[in-house]
Amino acid sequence: MLSFIVNEAMRDLRRAGRIGLAAILLIALSLTALGGFWLLSLNLGRAIDQWGDRVRVIVYLKDEPPAAKLEDLMQRIEAVGGVQRLRYVSKTDALRELKRSLGSQADVADQLPRNPLPASVEVTPDAAVATPEGTRALVGRLSTLPEVEEVQGGSQWVEGLAQFRLLFQGVGLVIGAVLAVAAILTVTTATTLVLHLRRDEMEIMRLVGATEHVIRAPRLVQGMAQGLVAAIVALATLEVAYALAVPRLEPLLPVTIGLERVTFLSPVQALALIATGALLGALGGLLARGRAAA
Amino acid sequence: MIRLQHVSMVFGAGPSQVAALTDISFHVAKGEFVVLTGPSGAGKTTLLRLLYRAESPSEGDIDVAGFDVSALRRSEIPRLRRSIGIVFQDAKLLAGRTVFENVAFVLRVLGTPRREITPKAFAALKAVGLSARAQAFPHQLSQGEAQRASLARAIVKSPGLLLADEPTGNLDEEMAGEILGLVKDIWSRGTTVVFATHQARLVPHLRRRTLRLEGGRLVKDEG
Repeated sequence: MLSFIVNEAMRDLRRAGRIGLAAILLIALSLTALGGFWLLSLNLGRAIDQWGDRVRVIVYLKDEPPAAKLEDLMQRIEAVGGVQRLRYVSKTDALRELKRSLGSQADVADQLPRNPLPASVEVTPDAAVATPEGTRALVGRLSTLPEVEEVQGGSQWVEGLAQFRLLFQGVGLVIGAVLAVAAILTVTTATTLVLHLRRDEMEIMRLVGATEHVIRAPRLVQGMAQGLVAAIVALATLEVAYALAVPRLEPLLPVTIGLERVTFLSPVQALALIATGALLGALGGLLARGRAAA
Repeated sequence: MIRLQHVSMVFGAGPSQVAALTDISFHVAKGEFVVLTGPSGAGKTTLLRLLYRAESPSEGDIDVAGFDVSALRRSEIPRLRRSIGIVFQDAKLLAGRTVFENVAFVLRVLGTPRREITPKAFAALKAVGLSARAQAFPHQLSQGEAQRASLARAIVKSPGLLLADEPTGNLDEEMAGEILGLVKDIWSRGTTVVFATHQARLVPHLRRRTLRLEGGRLVKDEG
């Protein structure tokens, strides 16, 4: 029975001709769009995760604490909670770092009558706190300490990047969904056309006592076959695009979004894309309408 | 094998209502050969369509091969039809398939094991004398050959009941005689046959029980 259903489905696929091919191309297009957005979103997500690890909060102090009180201050800062690591930056250290960042212009700092930079404590939040909400709360707690002049830093820009990723995913999903609906409709049209061509066969099948499952199964298999072929085409397209783009993009990524390398879809994700193709095709096949007499 | 009790069939509604069959009752025993006759439009095809549940009766009860056809659920129709072979006036052969493939198609659709399909299909073709034309396509057949192929397709699943709806309607006298002979052969092997024809000249040759329909009413049951 299975061989009958598969043979009939393949026969139908051949009969569908150009419309069948158009359906495959449309599914491939929608899956390429979905897969492309997914790929970019995954890598953007990795960049965001990495930047989350690099979130710092700077606690500027009113006065440089004497060495005897520094230990106590550091303990009280740690005690506010959500702190993974602390680093004290004295006024002298701050000036040194400024000069280093100024490079060849460092002598400008030497013209200053006195060191204007405040002492500070660089706080690395716990991984659990390194979220936009977590760092906002940490900043609030640190601001209550009497020695503190100002607290800066946080993860607003990481939050912005995360929002951009969400927007990006949304746009990807909408484009993918529109193309997916178009693909389903094309498969439906192709299958309906085939049903029209094989209405005599369906009539005979019903007359001799075939069940509706047997009559409909070839449509389902035909749609799934179209979806599978389309998904493989989409994956191949993504692979080629990835292979072409990565050598050009990778040198730029560390200095832009801080990502060392771009990764491709994992085998499980690739299988999910293939399964989505089969599902789209099967839906198109199932939605096709056509009934012979009897 | 077949039992109809007060069966009526009405098409349409309101003023456009047409009574195709009115208060039909009869019984056909297992292994019987019944000729269903009457002029065109008498209701023969409608009656046959009721037997294989292509239509549901407006009134009355129908039993066919142990199935309560009038109360049959849609999902149960395939089981009824597996016990019935049907032949039409037009052979309804599938154009893109050979004679052998047309006959084997039935077995494949019904999930017959692969090793049984070829011998069964050839046995059916042999029974109608068409083995030599197994690889011919429908357009290469004469009308008589096409009807014989249609008969082979109807009997390949060994049905207990054969419904023949004007199978000789398009054939000349000689070919019609051939088909009649084949249907009798099938009946002689134990299959119940209901043979519908409007060709009055054929009825005496058949010498079987005859049900005559006129204007949707059963006007004669004799033989």
